[in-house]
Amino acid sequence: MANRGKQKLNLTIMVLLSAYLILPLGLTFLYSLFQEWTSMLPTGFTLRYYVDLFQDPGFYLPILRTLIISTVPVLLCTAITILAMYVIVVHHPKWQKYMQIFCTIPYSLQGVILAISILALYSGLPLPFSDRIAMLVCTYCILILPYIYRGIQNSLNAINARQLIEAAMLLGYKPLAAYLRVVVPNLLSGITVSFLLSVSLLFGDFVVVNIIGGSYYPTAQMYLYKMMFRSGQQTSAMIVILFALTLLISAGVLVLQQRNKKSVAHKQEVADGFHTI
Amino acid sequence: MLNEQALASANQSSIQTLQRFNGFRAKRRTYLLALLPFIVLIITYELAPLMTMVIRSFLTPKTGEFTFANYAAIFQKKLYRDAVFNSLSLSLFSAGIGIVIAFFGAKAIYESTLKRRNTFMSILNMTSNFAGVPLAFSYIILLGNAGVLIHLGRHFGISFLENYNLYSFSGLVLVYVYFQIPLGTMLMVPAFQGLKQEWREAVSLLGGGSVRYWFKVGLPVLLPSLLGTFSVLFSNAVAAYATAYALLGGNFSLLPIRISEQFVGDVLQRKEFGSALAVMLMVLMVGVTILSNWLLKRAGHQRSTYGK
Amino acid sequence: MAFIQFEHITKRFGRNTVLDDINLDVEKGKLVTLLGPSGCGKSTLLRCLAGLENPDGGRIILDGEDITNRQPSERKVSMVFQQYSLFPNMNVFDNIAFGLKIQKIPQKQLRTMVEEMMAMVELQGKEHALPRHLSGGQQQRVALARSLVTRPKVLLLDEPLSAIDAKLRKSLQHRIQQIQRELNITCVFVTHDQDEAILMSDIIHLMNQGTVEQSGAPIELYTSPKTSFAASFIGNYNVLDGAAFAKLVGEPAKPNDVAIRPETINLTLEAPQMQPDAYVLSGEIMEFSPHGNVIRYTVRVGEQDIHADALFRSFKLFQTGQKVYAIVEKRNCLPVM
Repeated sequence: MANRGKQKLNLTIMVLLSAYLILPLGLTFLYSLFQEWTSMLPTGFTLRYYVDLFQDPGFYLPILRTLIISTVPVLLCTAITILAMYVIVVHHPKWQKYMQIFCTIPYSLQGVILAISILALYSGLPLPFSDRIAMLVCTYCILILPYIYRGIQNSLNAINARQLIEAAMLLGYKPLAAYLRVVVPNLLSGITVSFLLSVSLLFGDFVVVNIIGGSYYPTAQMYLYKMMFRSGQQTSAMIVILFALTLLISAGVLVLQQRNKKSVAHKQEVADGFHTI
Repeated sequence: MLNEQALASANQSSIQTLQRFNGFRAKRRTYLLALLPFIVLIITYELAPLMTMVIRSFLTPKTGEFTFANYAAIFQKKLYRDAVFNSLSLSLFSAGIGIVIAFFGAKAIYESTLKRRNTFMSILNMTSNFAGVPLAFSYIILLGNAGVLIHLGRHFGISFLENYNLYSFSGLVLVYVYFQIPLGTMLMVPAFQGLKQEWREAVSLLGGGSVRYWFKVGLPVLLPSLLGTFSVLFSNAVAAYATAYALLGGNFSLLPIRISEQFVGDVLQRKEFGSALAVMLMVLMVGVTILSNWLLKRAGHQRSTYGK
Repeated sequence: MAFIQFEHITKRFGRNTVLDDINLDVEKGKLVTLLGPSGCGKSTLLRCLAGLENPDGGRIILDGEDITNRQPSERKVSMVFQQYSLFPNMNVFDNIAFGLKIQKIPQKQLRTMVEEMMAMVELQGKEHALPRHLSGGQQQRVALARSLVTRPKVLLLDEPLSAIDAKLRKSLQHRIQQIQRELNITCVFVTHDQDEAILMSDIIHLMNQGTVEQSGAPIELYTSPKTSFAASFIGNYNVLDGAAFAKLVGEPAKPNDVAIRPETINLTLEAPQMQPDAYVLSGEIMEFSPHGNVIRYTVRVGEQDIHADALFRSFKLFQTGQKVYAIVEKRNCLPVM
């Protein structure tokens, strides 16, 4: 079959697409390193934009806020969902389909609709409902719920939670104890992937934090937006830094995915062995 | 550690209930407390906001009477008619271009060696994180008024580049397509796994070439995934806020931006109208999904050449 | 000149030599089987003939023409795959008509040809059915129809019945043979199932690790294996190495292995008369198991276990532990390489 020609064509497609995708990124990176770019080539190589950023105390706060607001909702949502899954897995497996419906609705709510509907409902109400930060955290919880739920559900399927619970109960554990002491620890490694995925999702969010957080909680993305109108080069530098942070998180996801594949296989063996007692 | 008796009695009750696992029935329903935080979260921040928003869209401000006026206003005022139209066309265009590129990208991955496949997929993964404000900014320095490519165009006398206006509909499409590519391609890759090599070989032996294979077998089999991915890309684009906001602010009428304007900012708050706009947005998203499902059903009843 | 000729065909995958200088001829109108264990290269050779793989060396001649470098679509060769043969988005009629449409056969003639073929595979009435609504056996019949309707020069079948359940397999084997004879079409069949090969083929080519170990008519292959591999693959031969056989019969050791068919070994309780043309061995029944209409006894003679098959005539069962005499004619002890 015309293999050589096909391979060449596919390589061309992949190279072209890669170039198209990397171009803006690469350009931004270059832009952050030069003072001027008014003609064909940039002039005045300098690292000062990065230095300025790192030396500016006002830079670290938004980043810190972003990091906090990206992780706290994920932890909260994970804890709440794991607890809720206890009831489903051990007591009412038939309720799983309802769980799935509620956890998939946020997909279609996307950012803007969720944000404004929550703001509209709670901004007029008394505290604690109208507290912007609380609103933000809870909105984020719903935003990432589909990903967290899917990660937990896949993990539960992979480790065959039912078998583990049965085996533990046969050994005398009460249901809740069986769940918390046997299933959950095995879950944790499996959900790290969706955990980190959610963190990077929240890290890059602009729409929700702009609408709900506003000036009450300026995060890195909003700081970036303001900077766009001040200095192009500085904005580029900040974009590069933020992107590097996101890459670090994604790299973490990949590494854990590799490790996860081995540990899930191992856990399945343990569950099988357990069950034959 | 556990004594024999405890083990035996645990065995007794446990085995009985585990015969058919409909869930372990505890005598007291206190375990339901574990479900409580989740239910509270869902009701307060998912269901209540959603329902109140839909209800509110049918209310008149101040009096609270039931009305369709909010929806009527969307179509009566040019600003908002444009918003709906622009969002719809922007999303259809970018999703359409995106799905075509995604098809060829995923096909290239499907037909390539492991090393090339992994490299390309890592690049896709990496650049899928690049969206929103950073993406808009990058395109501004690339193709904005003082953009690098503009300078290049001026230097080499390529008038298309020299005079390109990023702050237009086509500019938006260009930027939107950028974040559709990684998402669309990665969503399509698994679909190609369902294509059996035997079909390709059978077509070849029966005298057909590549083109015939793709049109008669490959694309029809991929159609569900193609339409599904198109829906996702469409929803992604129609609700996209950050990129449009960073690029054009409020200068170009798009639904997400008009919606947020009703709730935040210096302009007078118009919650009811805003809710109607938001419901409109959801209708667009659901509409495309329903349309693609309908198209699938139609394709399922292919007209056979037999019986004609 | 033979209808299909493989000349010096070699194929390597990485460091593995899958086909090692294969030279093979196929006569027109015959059903020829490539038989062997997995990895012996039979499927690869078939796919080289189809053009789905390209040999690294050698030529393939079909009907007088060198087709080695031709595209699969230009060879007039058809193939039935082990599974996933049919196009899932088309019904039975459109699947079968596919090749004819490419040839731009006019609609009326196309209809007739497809209906004829459907009658031949006994699937009338299923024109509108989709592949997913058909059983495995029905799907393969459609695949067969689709392959034959275009009047190819050769029909290739790559383990087409491996994924079909055993009961259905027999009827499909007969049907394929029937159709092949009726159309007098040259057929190359690949399988790892020796019973299937023996049942269906005019000629069997036994392959092992990239070479053709032995070729011949089914009966010939069955009764006269030339190598110990052939003996252990076809039939249920007892294959004993030279020294062990010598010990068994009390003769000086010869270099070759010896193969004995279980059904040629006669078991009796009473000591038989000495016969010049046969060996008489005394042993003990270790175990026995029924295989269809035959009982297979495992008899221990000295330190050696051999299988002896006897027709299952219900009142003549030997018991475990019984001392028996095994008589086997000398001419049934075949030296193999």
